[in-house]
Amino acid sequence: MNEPDSAPGAELSTAAADRPRTERPKKPRPSLFMLGGLIGLAAVTIAAGADWRFGVGFSLTEIWDGLTRPNAPMRGLGEIDFGVLTGTRARNGFLETLQMALVSTISGALVALPLALFNSKLGAPNRIAYAAIKLFNNVIRSIPDLLWALLFVAAVGIGALPGMLALFFFSIGVVTKLTSDTIDGIDHGPVEAARASGASHLQMLRTAVFPQVLPAYTSFSMYCFELNLRASAVLGFVGAGGIGAVINDYRISGQWDRVWGVVVGFLIVVIVVERISMMLRRRLL
Amino acid sequence: MSRARIQTANEARFERAVRPEKPFNWFRLVVTVAVVGGFLGAALSVDARWERLPEAPGQLWNIARLMFTDLDLDDLPDALESMWESVAIAWLGTMIAAVLSFPLAFLAAQNISGRVSVVVTRQLLNIPRAIPEIIFAVALIPIFGLGPLAGTVAIGLSSTGTIGKLSAEIIEGCGKGPVEAAAAAGGSKVQRIRWAVIPQVMPEIVAFWLYRFEINIRASAVLGVVGAGGIGTMLQQNIEFRNWGTAGMALIVVVLVTIIIDTVSGAIRRRIIRGPRSVYGHVVQDPQQIV
Repeated sequence: MNEPDSAPGAELSTAAADRPRTERPKKPRPSLFMLGGLIGLAAVTIAAGADWRFGVGFSLTEIWDGLTRPNAPMRGLGEIDFGVLTGTRARNGFLETLQMALVSTISGALVALPLALFNSKLGAPNRIAYAAIKLFNNVIRSIPDLLWALLFVAAVGIGALPGMLALFFFSIGVVTKLTSDTIDGIDHGPVEAARASGASHLQMLRTAVFPQVLPAYTSFSMYCFELNLRASAVLGFVGAGGIGAVINDYRISGQWDRVWGVVVGFLIVVIVVERISMMLRRRLL
Repeated sequence: MSRARIQTANEARFERAVRPEKPFNWFRLVVTVAVVGGFLGAALSVDARWERLPEAPGQLWNIARLMFTDLDLDDLPDALESMWESVAIAWLGTMIAAVLSFPLAFLAAQNISGRVSVVVTRQLLNIPRAIPEIIFAVALIPIFGLGPLAGTVAIGLSSTGTIGKLSAEIIEGCGKGPVEAAAAAGGSKVQRIRWAVIPQVMPEIVAFWLYRFEINIRASAVLGVVGAGGIGTMLQQNIEFRNWGTAGMALIVVVLVTIIIDTVSGAIRRRIIRGPRSVYGHVVQDPQQIV
């Protein structure tokens, strides 16, 4: 544009010069709220990470030192013992994990269905029931699976039973929440039709709401089965049975090669189940 | 009966009308048999002491009663401090995962990277997704020692898989328009990603980071069970030693803090996804800004 005479786009550039100059709009300043929020987050991060009474003492050098120092778990990772997977202990552990996940998912999903119907504005019989069920569900969901297991181990002793009870409650929370969220988005036509033909509230739920959420409900129940399978690998750490108990035993006796063998086996089981379940779920929705 | 009243008006038609027979649903039968059979088979074969099941509701009620009648406010500061440690672990762990997963997500997105990179990165992201946090934590404790650092790194590594996979899916869903515009203006690949892709995907990715933070709080609240820091240690020890009052206080703190953070974080997430509602109106109403 410095040499308009010789440049091939001469007309173009003169036209551009005639146009009133446009300025790039100024970038809006971040709002005070945003600024305060970001400063607050930075402060929380520093407080959480610093090496003081209320921080975790986060430091990259320490992480690097830890990882480069020779240590048992990483040495075990180099010599994974897959032979452990053919042994009876691991086989029984995997079988127990599957059984626990199956029993607790099916029973939990069964209880979650009516709760999910009542947990939505549309399906709740009245405001009080709605609020009560919502509160109940929020409390159930905010208790992590391992904590349920701790409580049930204290209540009924160690073994697969407390594990199944823990997963049962965990499943209720998950399936109820996900299904009731779908109910908020269903088509209201069938609901009105059911009401217009004189259906009672329960009949309306049965004939207008239930068929619409059935595919989603089934899909969430399968998803919950995957979650339970994964969770049952850790319940054994508090004495609630499953493959976690086997992993914990090998860990305590320091046999990391075997720990990793079982973990890899577990990984394969989870990924296979996830693939199958995803295929089925995709067909459902 | 009402049927009789209708019949008087429309007798002949109703005599002939027959409700069509319901077709027999094989699929439903198979599914029902599979579910019932699977449940009974597993329930009967599992090595559990079912005879103790009837005790469970009573025992649970008993524990709940002991927990909440025996509360001692002196335990509150301890519980809050431990819970803060759990929140700190979850927060820092989520940040580690965000930093690690961000570049991986671009490597795993089909519309950004080549086939090999996508397949390899996806498989890499699948591994931490399938392994629970606790297993990471027990493997890291011998390395970093008992304490919150092991928990933080465990949360960070295990969340990297989920965040990376979801971020990649968000990136794959981004609009082509801005990318083409950046390409037409002569942007290089890096510039196209910086100016056309990142601004589109960032709100959703940040919202997912926050969502994962909410999940990680639940995870970090139990990491202490194996000694990786947080309120889990307090819960586990007090439940194990039947110290129900203190355990109850810790449980209340976990539930309340989790619900509060869920609510706040959920509101922030919705605001991030929806964008500032009033900004457009605000700009138009302020004459100095349009001129």
